[in-house]
Amino acid sequence: MINELVDVAEPNLLENIFPYDTVPRISFDGTITEEIDGETVVFDPARVLMEDIHLTDTTFRDGQQARPPYTVEQIVALYDMMSRLGGPNGMIRQSEFFLYTRKDREAIEKCRELGHTYPEITGWIRADAGDFRIVKEMGLKETGMLTSCSDYHIFHKARQTRREAFDAYVSVVEAAIEAGVRPRCHLEDVTRADIDGFVVPFVQKLMQLSESLPEDMKVKIRLCDTMGYGITYPGASLPRSIPKLVYRMMHDAGVPAGNLEWHGHNDFHKVHINGASCWLYGLNAVNTSLLGFGERTGNPPLEGAMIEYVGLKGDLNGVNLPVITEIADYFRNEIGATVSPNYPFVGEDCTTTRAGIHADGLRRDERIYNIFDTTTLLNRPPEVAITDKSGVDGIVLWVNKYLGREGDDRLTKIKVHKIARWVADQYEKEGRITAISNEELAEQVNLHLGKYVTGA
Amino acid sequence: MKKEDTDKCEGAEENESSISQRVRDVVVDVLKIDPGTITPESRFTADLGAESLQSVELVAAFEEVFDIEMDEDEAFAVQTVGDAVCYIEKCLSA
Repeated sequence: MINELVDVAEPNLLENIFPYDTVPRISFDGTITEEIDGETVVFDPARVLMEDIHLTDTTFRDGQQARPPYTVEQIVALYDMMSRLGGPNGMIRQSEFFLYTRKDREAIEKCRELGHTYPEITGWIRADAGDFRIVKEMGLKETGMLTSCSDYHIFHKARQTRREAFDAYVSVVEAAIEAGVRPRCHLEDVTRADIDGFVVPFVQKLMQLSESLPEDMKVKIRLCDTMGYGITYPGASLPRSIPKLVYRMMHDAGVPAGNLEWHGHNDFHKVHINGASCWLYGLNAVNTSLLGFGERTGNPPLEGAMIEYVGLKGDLNGVNLPVITEIADYFRNEIGATVSPNYPFVGEDCTTTRAGIHADGLRRDERIYNIFDTTTLLNRPPEVAITDKSGVDGIVLWVNKYLGREGDDRLTKIKVHKIARWVADQYEKEGRITAISNEELAEQVNLHLGKYVTGA
Repeated sequence: MKKEDTDKCEGAEENESSISQRVRDVVVDVLKIDPGTITPESRFTADLGAESLQSVELVAAFEEVFDIEMDEDEAFAVQTVGDAVCYIEKCLSA
C-alpha cells in the first residue's frame, strides 16, 4: 500500500504527546503479550494510570556502598530535598538506611526531626534475627533483609544448601514478624536464580506467613537484579526476563502489586528501562538512587525514574521536578561528587548543545532541540557551549542570551561576526582543543559589542 | 548567499564603476581570492568557495563599506556577486 503525502497548512506538532510544558507523554496502543509456561499472558500497560506506582530510594544504603560515605549533614540535606522532590503524595515513598553505626542512627534521628511524612525511613539489615533489636530501638516499622536466592550466593557465598538457606531466611522473617517489624525480603541475585526450584517456593512460603497478618505487616518482596542481568525483551527467558519474573511472583507466588518492588543495577546499561518496565508489567515500587549512585554501575537514577513516572502518568501528582537540579548542584558543589556532564536531567551539559545547526534550531524555536520546557520543569534553560562546531548560529544564540536580548531585539549573525572569527581562529590557527568558556566569550562581547552590553 | 537570479538589476551598469567595484574589492578582501576569478554570475559559495563564516563576514563587510543595514534573511538569500550588487543598490536607494 502506498501512503499519500498529507500536506498541511499548519504544522502538526503532536502536542498531545509532546506538550512541552510538561514531560512528553508515554502512551500505548494496547496490551502486551508474553508466552509464559505455554500460556499467552496479557499485560495491560494502562495499569500505570490506575495503580499507585511509585519510587523508593536507596541513596543512603546502596548509594553509600558505591562512594565515600555521606556526612550526617549531607544525608539530612539530601533527604530533605528528596522529600520536596517526591511531594506530599509520597511519590518517593520510602528511603532505606543503614542502622549499624552511631552515625547511621544519628542520620535517621536528624532526618526524622524534619517531620516529613515521605519518604518513610526504613532499615536495612543482614538476615540476622538479633539485628531486629536495632530496628525496634530505632522505631522503624519496616526493614529490608538479605535473602539471597541464587545458587551463586547460597552455595558459594553462604556455603549453605538451598534447604538451609530457605529455613534460615524463614526463621528470620518469623523473628521480624514476632518483633513487630515488617520484613522486606531482598531476593538478592534473583535474575540468576532457579525460579521454580527456589524462588517461587520461598516466596510462596513468605506469602503463606503473611496470610494472617494485618496489611501493614505482610511480607514485602524486593526483586534484586544484583548483577544487572534483567532484560525486558519480549520472549526472553527466565531468570533474566523481567516480565516473566514479575508475573511469576504475582501469579504463582501470590505477591500483591503493592508489596512487590524492583531493585536494579546498571551493569548492562539497562537499569532505567528495566525499572520503569516493571511498572508496566505489574509491580508498583521501583527502588532508585539519587543520580544512580549504587554498587559498581549503580541503580536506577531516581531523577530519571521520576521523569518517567510523570511521562507514564501524564500528571505531576505533586512531584516538584526543579528540586532535581538543586540535588544535582548539591552533589557537585557540596559533596564534591563527579557527575558526568552528559548525564540526563542532571549533568552540567544535559541541556547544552554544541552543534551550530542545533543552535540555529534553538534560536528559531527552542522546542526544536529542547526535550521539554527545561527552564520551568528543571530550572535548566537550554544552553549553547561554543566550540569549533557551534558556528555563527551558536555564537549569536549565546550572545543574545548573555545580553538578554529577545524577539525582534535580538542581534543578528552579522553583528557577531568578529566574535565568530575569533572563535574560528582559536581552533584553526591556535590549535585549541577545549571549549570556549563563558568568561572568554563575555570578554569578546565587551570588546566587539560593547555598546550593547549595558545591563547584561 | 543563495539567490539564483543573476539578471542585471536596474541601474547596474551606471553603478558598475562604483558599487560593483567596491563589492569586488570586499569579496577579494574577505575571501582572499584572485579578482580575475570574479564575475557577476559567480556564486559566493559554489564558485568562490565562501565558507559559512565568510558569508557572514561578507555581509558584515558590505554593511560597513556601504554604510547600510541589511535584513539578515534577505542578505543570506543572495547567492551571486551580481545579485549582491543589486541588493546593495536597493538598500542604498531605500
